[in-house]
Amino acid sequence: MSLPLSRKKALREWRLYFFIGPSLVLVATFAYFPALSAAYHSLFDWSGGDAQQWVGLDNFRRAWHDQVLWDSFRTVSVLIGFNLFKMIPSILMAVLIHRLTSDRWQYAYRALLVVPMIVPGLVTLFIWKFFFDPNLGVLNRVLDFTGLKHGLVWLDQHVFHWNVFFANVPPGWLSQPGLVLPSLFLWGFPWLGTVGVLIYLAGLQSISTDVYEAAELDGVGPIGKFFHIELPLILTQVRLNLILLVIATLQGYGLQLLLLGESGGPGGRGMVPGLWMYNRAFIAGEFGYACAVGMILFAFILILTLVNHRFVRVEK
Amino acid sequence: MSAPIRKDTVGARSRRDWPAHLVIAGFVLIELFPLYMMLQVSFKDNTGFIQNPWLPSNPATWHWENWLFGLKLVGPYITNTVFVAVLGTSCSIGLAVLGAYFFARYRMPFSGVLWSGFIALMLLPSVANIVPLFMLLKEMSLLNTLWALVIVAVAGGQVFNIFVLRNFIEDIPKDLFESAEMDGASHLQQIVTIVIPLSAPIIGTLSILSFLGIWNDFLLPLIVLRDRELFTLGVGLIYLDGEYVKQWGQIMAAYFLAAIPLIVIFLFCMRLFIRGLSQGAIKG
Repeated sequence: MSLPLSRKKALREWRLYFFIGPSLVLVATFAYFPALSAAYHSLFDWSGGDAQQWVGLDNFRRAWHDQVLWDSFRTVSVLIGFNLFKMIPSILMAVLIHRLTSDRWQYAYRALLVVPMIVPGLVTLFIWKFFFDPNLGVLNRVLDFTGLKHGLVWLDQHVFHWNVFFANVPPGWLSQPGLVLPSLFLWGFPWLGTVGVLIYLAGLQSISTDVYEAAELDGVGPIGKFFHIELPLILTQVRLNLILLVIATLQGYGLQLLLLGESGGPGGRGMVPGLWMYNRAFIAGEFGYACAVGMILFAFILILTLVNHRFVRVEK
Repeated sequence: MSAPIRKDTVGARSRRDWPAHLVIAGFVLIELFPLYMMLQVSFKDNTGFIQNPWLPSNPATWHWENWLFGLKLVGPYITNTVFVAVLGTSCSIGLAVLGAYFFARYRMPFSGVLWSGFIALMLLPSVANIVPLFMLLKEMSLLNTLWALVIVAVAGGQVFNIFVLRNFIEDIPKDLFESAEMDGASHLQQIVTIVIPLSAPIIGTLSILSFLGIWNDFLLPLIVLRDRELFTLGVGLIYLDGEYVKQWGQIMAAYFLAAIPLIVIFLFCMRLFIRGLSQGAIKG
């Protein structure tokens, strides 16, 4: 704890305020001011210049009737579902590595999992974009090579009638409206998050071998062990990751911007609320409306953060 | 007749591990596959890649000129990004140490209010900030400069870094500060001789995180930078991706070059990083 200070001593130490000064000015200018400015400008018709016109809540009324915004919220909820599913491999991976008896192998696998982190996130995205390329891309080659393509075409024609896979046409993963969401799902396969796996492993380390041996004596199988021993121990981390993931997905749009472009790809199928805000501001020049969309997102995320803070107690 | 040798239990257990090894190794291999593709395609030209997409080509036919081209292409971008990342990280951490010292050393008048002001920002979503931030940088005539990226990175790092560092500085024994004060050390001298040496590991971890964050950022550079000479890697790679006729070999070489500074960092900090995360050092 910091020491309480008599008023006299505090006055003598006034120079200490210079220590916090720069941070304070920076945070006020680049964090608090933009947030307030966004709230303020969401009430104006503003195209970025000096001229702006007070429109009250018109921007929010427009947002209420904005079909693109509604669709984007639907898309982002689908993506949240995808991302929650994508948490599973990291959890299973951590459990599998933890169950190995050899410490040396455990360390080796941890180190191998860190290796992909050397690739900048942007480059990973572009490599996936390259994998999705209809003619040269790895994905279509794998589908052709393994014969999975025939299966997909057959399923399309006889069972599901998606109308996206055809026998002689390479699927355009990022260029066919019907394939945009599947591509956003496939992206990043096998969906191992390095940081996630390492954090889960840290949580699992507290299980002693006695617990396993006792469970084995009781005849608990591998699946039972997962649900009764391992999952309860990492539940805090899983819950925290889950909330952070939902928030990040809700406000993120870099992925969609890079893979699909600023209008959300073919048919706008990949449009998410953040991207719509970006699009309105920097493509259409409707800064006031963009601020309003931003405020709507802001409200959603703030509610989630507060709920998280209230119900998920995370030890510091 | 010798009695059958009893297997020791550890050996028996580790032999039962092989299905797990198989699954883990499979996943790790798929995880590393993009890295492998990036490396082996970078040595081929487009025809070589189409003929033989999967396996590395014969080293005798490696197209080293891809790497030369890539270096010429992304070299300037890397220089710009290193400038922003080094300056941004050092200023961000430097100011955060000063700020954390302010909160941790004494309970000054108003420090409670200021602390709440900082902590509130950890709860406030920043998603709506980008539009006004753009206008603000325009007003300050910082658009199309690297300084805009540096200053926003420094500002953006303050809350988290001060939050983490304050806890660490408060754990330093008070006697150290008091005896330094007796010897007439100023606050700056106390920071340099006590705080920085004793919290070096956490300062290192925070620096890596900050550096990675700046290195991977592309949204802000995308809206701030206009001139090709000023491009950071983020924007540079986006423009490279936008070109119509693509020489994949050159592009992959450029991608790999973009990763080299991170490779250097991880080579030196791998153990620290794995240990830190495994012990749950990132509690934020």
